[in-house]
Amino acid sequence: MTSLFRALSERPLRLPRLTTYVPNPDDPSIFWFNSERRTIVEEVITRVVDAHVVDRATLELTLNDTARHEIARLERAHGSASGETLDAWKSVVRRIARMSDEEKRRAIYDTVARMARDVTGNFDPRVYQMASRAVPILLTGVMRPSRFPASLVRGEPPDLGELLTIQGDVEKLRALQRKGALVYVPTHSSNLDSLVLGHALDRSGLAPVIYGAGKNLFTNPIISFFMHNLGAYRVDRTVRANLYKEVLKTYSSVMIEWGYHSLFFPGGTRSRSGLIENRLKLGLAGSAVEAFSRNQVRGIDRRVFFVPTTINYALVLEAETLVEDWLREEGRSRYIIDDDEFSRVDRWVAFFRKLVGLRGACVLRFGEPLDPFGNSVDDEGRSFTPSGATIDSATYVYRGGRATLDPRRDAAYTRELGEVLVERYRGESVLMATQLVAHILFRRLVANTPGMDLFGRIRLRGEISMDHDELVEAVGRARDALGVLEAAGVVRMSPVLHRSPPEELVARALAAWSGYHRRQAAREQNAVVFIEDPTLLLYYQNRLVPFAERIAPEAELAAAREIGRLNVVGASR
Amino acid sequence: MSAVGVVGGGLFGRALAQAAARNGHSVVLYTRGREAPRAFEAEGEAEIFGDERVRTSNQLADLRDAGLIFLAVPSAYLPELAFELGKHLDGRHLLVHVSRGLVGQELLTLTRLLRQRTPCRRVGALAGPLSAAALAEDVPAGAIVGTPFPEVCASVREAIASSSLLLYESADVIGVEVASAMVGLLSLAVGYARGLGVGPAPLALVLTRGMIEGARIGGPLGAQSETFYGLSGMGDLLAAVAGDERPEVALGEALARGQTLDEAVRGVGGHIESVRLAKRVADFARRVGERAPIAGVVAAVLEGELSGEEAIAALMARPGGRE
Repeated sequence: MTSLFRALSERPLRLPRLTTYVPNPDDPSIFWFNSERRTIVEEVITRVVDAHVVDRATLELTLNDTARHEIARLERAHGSASGETLDAWKSVVRRIARMSDEEKRRAIYDTVARMARDVTGNFDPRVYQMASRAVPILLTGVMRPSRFPASLVRGEPPDLGELLTIQGDVEKLRALQRKGALVYVPTHSSNLDSLVLGHALDRSGLAPVIYGAGKNLFTNPIISFFMHNLGAYRVDRTVRANLYKEVLKTYSSVMIEWGYHSLFFPGGTRSRSGLIENRLKLGLAGSAVEAFSRNQVRGIDRRVFFVPTTINYALVLEAETLVEDWLREEGRSRYIIDDDEFSRVDRWVAFFRKLVGLRGACVLRFGEPLDPFGNSVDDEGRSFTPSGATIDSATYVYRGGRATLDPRRDAAYTRELGEVLVERYRGESVLMATQLVAHILFRRLVANTPGMDLFGRIRLRGEISMDHDELVEAVGRARDALGVLEAAGVVRMSPVLHRSPPEELVARALAAWSGYHRRQAAREQNAVVFIEDPTLLLYYQNRLVPFAERIAPEAELAAAREIGRLNVVGASR
Repeated sequence: MSAVGVVGGGLFGRALAQAAARNGHSVVLYTRGREAPRAFEAEGEAEIFGDERVRTSNQLADLRDAGLIFLAVPSAYLPELAFELGKHLDGRHLLVHVSRGLVGQELLTLTRLLRQRTPCRRVGALAGPLSAAALAEDVPAGAIVGTPFPEVCASVREAIASSSLLLYESADVIGVEVASAMVGLLSLAVGYARGLGVGPAPLALVLTRGMIEGARIGGPLGAQSETFYGLSGMGDLLAAVAGDERPEVALGEALARGQTLDEAVRGVGGHIESVRLAKRVADFARRVGERAPIAGVVAAVLEGELSGEEAIAALMARPGGRE
């Protein structure tokens, strides 16, 4: 049985095809993918190989680096079917000095080809149509068991509207996806993000996207089947060789160049701290900038638009695992977590049960789309400047009057785009009631423990409390302060946070925390709210860190400043 | 050969125009006001403006055809000027400023400001031990271009480098800008200390620790600390100590002689960024939780809160510590 699972995850199932699917002209670009896949893979292989066989030094360096990383990886993964490959790499290392240039080139070619084929996804329109119905049905199934059979029988997509609120200028995105490639770059807090975004695209009439999914998500054969047939490409984070990173970046670049809409998370991994992302991993963003330049150089005027998107949850499925990982000793945090709540069905069920009572538990907000140089764009895809004039974004890759390719230049553009994205995340984040209530409680904890460090504070379970009425009043005042910031365009509040009376906000937060997480973040007893798990409160309140100082009353200003500095501490974690 | 634009008709702006013209470029020198070009001639600058390659203008639109534009104006005017200039530019234009200023309470660097206020992204800062006089007269000098964009550095090189002007480059543009601003502050201290007759050892102490302070403040702004020990930081500061007759040093000396700040500023002429910067640097350091005692003392002296003896006492009263 296990071996069958492994076989399925190594080589995901594809549905047999009796007739060739002929895409309609109106179909999204990805419907054409299967007919173009072979050419795309060839292009990726050619580009990566060409860049690494320029001279003997590069050849040897590349081969050595790849061998070293692969040997280390395969030795860590011993036990599985890696023995043969491991021996092959060891033999390469032994022979490298004696190999002819042609043999070295051959070895690089074979490796790149293997990597590229492993990465490449599939897109099956039938699976897409099935999934766009199945996901809502499944989600409702967990959430509203009573309605599940009925919707299954009728086959009608149930309404997830109450659970997920979609915000932003969807009309503009619909217009832009016909003008060029959209690159969605959302904040990342949960493995549910790609499902939520996929569903939001479908519901908004936006085209499906390609995205890289961690290979660890492919270990479940059912998820693997869907992922693999919906345009996901596989990213194996255990492969550290630079050559592999080049293959991934090139694949992404070629796909965007060819006009495929795509999705990636610039935060790299899920935010461990709950902080809004402030350090980005820009490799894939760089591939989009490169795609734009390459098209311009070839005289193809295909635009690239970045869509900063925030996905905001009242309750985060994996909150406990993530924040514990953040608080581990520096350097010991895990890049890949494969045993978290996401992989456990019982946690899913508990999570969705909990969400039932929370209207608007998730807000997905599409931010203003940007060109690759951080300028806003209009419905026609024209970039505009700070003074409101429209300019041609192609001029950014001009040198001496014509479009040129320059990796260093594009890397610099990418870094600057990263700064703009960080700013946009801050402005487009939608604050949730649970986050505000957590912040007020955590601020009190900090105010009551002057001089104590973070690690001391998170050990204070059940020792600090706040009168219920005082908490309600503080939440109300902080919400008013956020209202002023919102009017100034600095923050956004979820509809629930916006209109519910403070009393209800507190009740909502306490209800959300009770029952799902293993430990209750805070609990009320005799009109007093006790801080039970400062770690969880810290996680939820971290979303407010950038605004802490501006919403604090005089008496807790010092505490708010201290919280504000978490942004700096958090960045190094 | 593409045209070079220069914004600002002060000493540095004119020297840049002269250097670019000498390298064979046609130059558009923008200055505010109609009468400005004539005023230069009255000052005996005919050798610049007699050069047919340099054209002066009071229309920002005339800079549109320049591939590279130098900005040599006080940072206080830059937000508005950049916005107006930006109306005539697009992604093609390369912008390089020469200011020691940082804007506002957040100490926004000028390349960031240029990116926010104009459509231009390929921007940089020219800094280091380069004086307007050396540039104008083509005597041996060195400078550094801070920019992550290789073509910005290449264009600056093409515009002004010569057999006597050696140009280095750094991708850490924020570091270059913050280091340059910090050197402005410390140059005031150089002049002040010289005026008070402070000995070499305490001067070296203050300047070295001051540079370390700059590196600390640069961190939260996104600068790399190594940059502070390069040409835009220590290199530039050494030139001040060696006596390159920069206005900041003259201003410091005037203050030490007992002149008021207003008198001293009038006396040296020109615009000195550091005068308005010291207090903001000290405040910023406090907000981000970094220690900046030297910027604090410079600010207090400028505000007239500390006398010479008190300033020295305040600096020497600090406990030593680990470097």
